Amino acid sequence: MRHQRALVAAAVVMMIGAAPVLGHHALHSEFDTSKRGHIVGVLTRFAMVNPHIRWYFDVKNPNGTIAKWEITGAGPQSLRANGMTRIWKVGDTYDVTFAPARDGSNLGRVVTFTFPDGRVVTLYHEDPNNPNDR
Amino acid sequence: MRRWACYLAAVVLCAGCAAPKADPPASGSTPGVDAEGEAAVTPRMADGKPDLNGVWGGGGGGDDQAKPDANGNLTVLTKQRPCAPTQPNCAHAVNFERDSGVMQRMNPNVPIYKPEHWARVQELDENGNQFDPEFHCYPLGVPRLGPPNKIVQTATEVVFLYRSHNSFRVVPLDGRPHDPVYSQDVNWNGDSVGSWDGDTLVVDVVGFNDESWLAWPGWFHSNNMHVIERFKRDGNTLHYDVRVEDPDVLLQPWDMTPRAIKLNPNPKAFLIEDPPCDEQDYKHMTSRERG
Repeated sequence: MRHQRALVAAAVVMMIGAAPVLGHHALHSEFDTSKRGHIVGVLTRFAMVNPHIRWYFDVKNPNGTIAKWEITGAGPQSLRANGMTRIWKVGDTYDVTFAPARDGSNLGRVVTFTFPDGRVVTLYHEDPNNPNDR
Repeated sequence: MRRWACYLAAVVLCAGCAAPKADPPASGSTPGVDAEGEAAVTPRMADGKPDLNGVWGGGGGGDDQAKPDANGNLTVLTKQRPCAPTQPNCAHAVNFERDSGVMQRMNPNVPIYKPEHWARVQELDENGNQFDPEFHCYPLGVPRLGPPNKIVQTATEVVFLYRSHNSFRVVPLDGRPHDPVYSQDVNWNGDSVGSWDGDTLVVDVVGFNDESWLAWPGWFHSNNMHVIERFKRDGNTLHYDVRVEDPDVLLQPWDMTPRAIKLNPNPKAFLIEDPPCDEQDYKHMTSRERG
């Protein structure tokens, strides 16, 4: 009992005053961050919206039909702070790796964009190369 | 035993958690502010009241230091986790929202609800993806909204500006009572009137809806909630204390965990637009996990 009280007290002391944290969302409920998906598609829309930025792509299927894909990222302020809001061009083709949606829809949480000129932009919530972050 | 294990887990998680990243102070300085950003004295208005004007606190999200490498490659990691402000060496850690969820449920400063309301709190918490209004782009509402990002003060009113949802509150300081109609309305931020208690600005708020939450773990309130906010400037620190009285659902008043935010020393600091909110995630959720 004495140990239990000590641990409770320690937890209380460490947590009092903790600042509010990011409020939403449920990354792991929506995406399987242990997996990676991949598309090459033409950007049709870039949406600077809360709670998550969204990119919309047309991806050509092997049979020539077009599949609509949606890629999401972090909150929009994360790009603003880095002056990145105009680097994606509608009509350009991007190579995208992402954590796929668990429900199997054409949806992913972005890990990297490879731009037409070869630049790689990585947008993730933690170090994407650290398996413990997944 | 399970509870014991949970407390232990909270201690372990706390030990490694990281602070939300704040906007870095830009170069330049404000008169009366020393190198550490601390004012020797609290500035005052012409009427002698503490001067609360300014941009307070920072933002969050994004690695503000991210720069492209020689090949133009760029990495921006939105590392954010809860962190006690007194914690030294509070570095970025792992698992992002999962740890955030554990942390917020383990917050020991819990409102004490009447016994008949605990089942609802638990249901809201367990199904927060569905029920948390913030999750679905609704405003946070007072007091979950927290302290303002900018304050504009005159002798007769104080204006609170918030980045969240580009929202604002105009609080009269001229001694008027609550508006008889608006104070009985259902508002996210309520009907506010302010007064000075010595050097502390006291804002009395009523007229709430019963849709907003006090915090993430399903802490609801009634539309008879009464909130008392206290703003006290000490040098370049703004202390924000909140008491919530809601005898319809709470056994006793609840004091939010006090906040202390720093004045942004950049004289050119400004609030950036908060983009509109378009929630598209819920329909893809496969579990009730949230962060």
